[in-house]
Amino acid sequence: MKYAPLLLLLTVAVLVALPWLVSGSMLNAAVQMLIAALFAMAFGLLCGQAGLLSFGHAAYFGVGAFAAVHAMNAFGGEGLLPTPLLPLVGGATGLVSGLLAGYFSTKRTGVYFAMITLALAELLHALAPHLKTVFGGEAGVSSFRMPAWGIGFGSLNDVYFLTLVWTLLCIGLLYLFSKTPLGRLALGLRENAHRLRFLGYNTHALGTLIFAVSAMFAGVAGALQSMNIEAANYVVLESHISTAVVLNSFIGGVRVFLGPAIGGAVMTFFGHVTSDLTRVWLLYQGIIFVLVMMFLPRGIVGELVERLRSPGSEGFAGTLGTTLMRLASLAVAAFGGVFLVEFLQRFLSAEYRAGVQEGIWPNITLFSHDWAPLSVLPWGFGFGLFGLGIALVVMVNRRVAARKEAQA
Amino acid sequence: MSDPILSLQNVHKSFGEAHIIRDANLDVIPGERHAVIGPNGAGKSTLFHLCSGQFAPSEGKILLNGTNIAGLKPAEVNRRGLARSFQITNIFPGVSVFENLRLAVMRKHNLQFVFWRSVARLRRVNAEVDELLTRIRLSDRAYSLASQLSYSEQRSLEIGMTLASDPQVILLDEPMAGMSHEETNYTAGLIREITEGRTLLIVEHDMGVVFSLAHRISVLVYGEIVATGTPEEIRGNARVKEAYLGEEAA
Ligand SMILES: Nc1ncnc2c1ncn2[C@@H]1O[C@H](COP(=O)(O)OP(=O)(O)O)[C@@H](O)[C@H]1O
Ligand SMILES: [Mg+2]
Repeated sequence: MKYAPLLLLLTVAVLVALPWLVSGSMLNAAVQMLIAALFAMAFGLLCGQAGLLSFGHAAYFGVGAFAAVHAMNAFGGEGLLPTPLLPLVGGATGLVSGLLAGYFSTKRTGVYFAMITLALAELLHALAPHLKTVFGGEAGVSSFRMPAWGIGFGSLNDVYFLTLVWTLLCIGLLYLFSKTPLGRLALGLRENAHRLRFLGYNTHALGTLIFAVSAMFAGVAGALQSMNIEAANYVVLESHISTAVVLNSFIGGVRVFLGPAIGGAVMTFFGHVTSDLTRVWLLYQGIIFVLVMMFLPRGIVGELVERLRSPGSEGFAGTLGTTLMRLASLAVAAFGGVFLVEFLQRFLSAEYRAGVQEGIWPNITLFSHDWAPLSVLPWGFGFGLFGLGIALVVMVNRRVAARKEAQA
Repeated sequence: MSDPILSLQNVHKSFGEAHIIRDANLDVIPGERHAVIGPNGAGKSTLFHLCSGQFAPSEGKILLNGTNIAGLKPAEVNRRGLARSFQITNIFPGVSVFENLRLAVMRKHNLQFVFWRSVARLRRVNAEVDELLTRIRLSDRAYSLASQLSYSEQRSLEIGMTLASDPQVILLDEPMAGMSHEETNYTAGLIREITEGRTLLIVEHDMGVVFSLAHRISVLVYGEIVATGTPEEIRGNARVKEAYLGEEAA
């Protein structure tokens, strides 16, 4: 952990240099990743620290997005609210709606809390199409980023830096928040709200406030999103946005500070890379979530932190070695799995079916190779690699277990 | 005799058909250490739940410093100067021992909705936590997770958290259950020390502790207080012997 500040500095340096390092399309993805990271961090405060699992965080992201677009139109990026400060509007809107929603939802905990957040978000989603003046109907509300403070905000670079500054600032604020009395009480709320009451705390007010702070940062993320695309549409209120932030945060590790951010960024990156390559990205996202929850229940970052903290009997180098071997084996299995999924997806698609005539099954092109669907070759290749990868993982695990036993 | 600091007047509590507390009357004098004894299931913990706001009594009054607190919420009762520990350990398992105590101490300093100060800079609070840690002999476990403490260490932490708010009236529900002989002795000494200038109501099964610690003892049998008196009076009370002390007194 002593390298943490250095690592942080390095990350920030890379982020600042990014526009000169990557292509425009990748920089665009980076903007999305930053927004997803901030949104997940906002969610992580509520879910990871206060133990309140919200299934409706799209609502606060969404109101932030709409508020920023309306403010952009109203102020023209000048006067009291120049373009760089517009995310404040998203934050304020998130905060106010979070206070309201938090007041009702934190009257309950656990499943009931989750259900109320879900219901409130669905309510807003159902209302939105009917409130044309606010949500703009099917077309949504659009706007233009105006220059301010001598910055044009027309180029992708400007948008990237705007998003970067706000994301880093907000994550920094969230970090500081976790070190304040209210931030610490969030942990108390998660660990034992009953005991907090007997220590004299108003747990409902605490829950409401923490909910509101979380919604505020979600609102900032929403504002950054609508400023990026210069529009907001009520699809941002859809439940899959709420679901994605839950999945991303858990994949990253909801209880470690930067876990949600890394989960959000990594999954958005995967989504960006694979959306051109595959039509079943959501399937992969689901599989990744299930696998992470089964084998790394603390999330990717959570597990990493845990390994670093207690490297176990093998020592750091040993742990690194076995981890790399496991990863390599998993990569083989993953390649086999992806091959099978993609092959099946093509095989089962309507287009392919239409091409089948009189019992002639045309070849399927996958990974720049033509495969005959009725031969054993593609199936053997996919299942073979998948099986090989799994076998390798099992072997590595056995060796580690044997070594441990020998030591004991 | 001065006015009671805590007074139960004709308190009843029933859960549906089950009458658990039946017409309990009890006056606790300021500054005394008062023990409640009685067989398992007599309703001792329920009595504590009623005094601390966990349950509202079905009937009757509970006066703390002369005001009725019956039916108030736990946090409100705590703010009026009454703190309690639990028979079943009730701590914050997933955070450090230090954090457990800090959460408990912060309330006394009115640090609840404060998001502009860093906990690391709360010098008074952190110093008080350190002092508490020394008292409950958990200084060397300060940065362990509370869930990793042994059972008796968790019992000590439970007591520490109860003390943290600097209450006038302390309710301890079987604080020494599960402790070794040495730990029990130490904890009895600690309780004696920390309740100096406060009022203590304690439920405890270790009769050695009860009779040496308490100024007065009340005996609860089937939800009724059948006797209240000094340790000598209780030892000599025929009804108590028959109902509860039985062979133990013999
Ligand atoms: N919430 C409750 N609902 C119903 N019965 C309860 C409840 N709490 C306690 N009781 C019953 O009240 C009786 C007294 O319990 P308790 O106060 O825990 O006794 P003690 O602490 O003296 O051992 C027991 O018979 C118990 O089953
Ligand atoms: Mg009991």
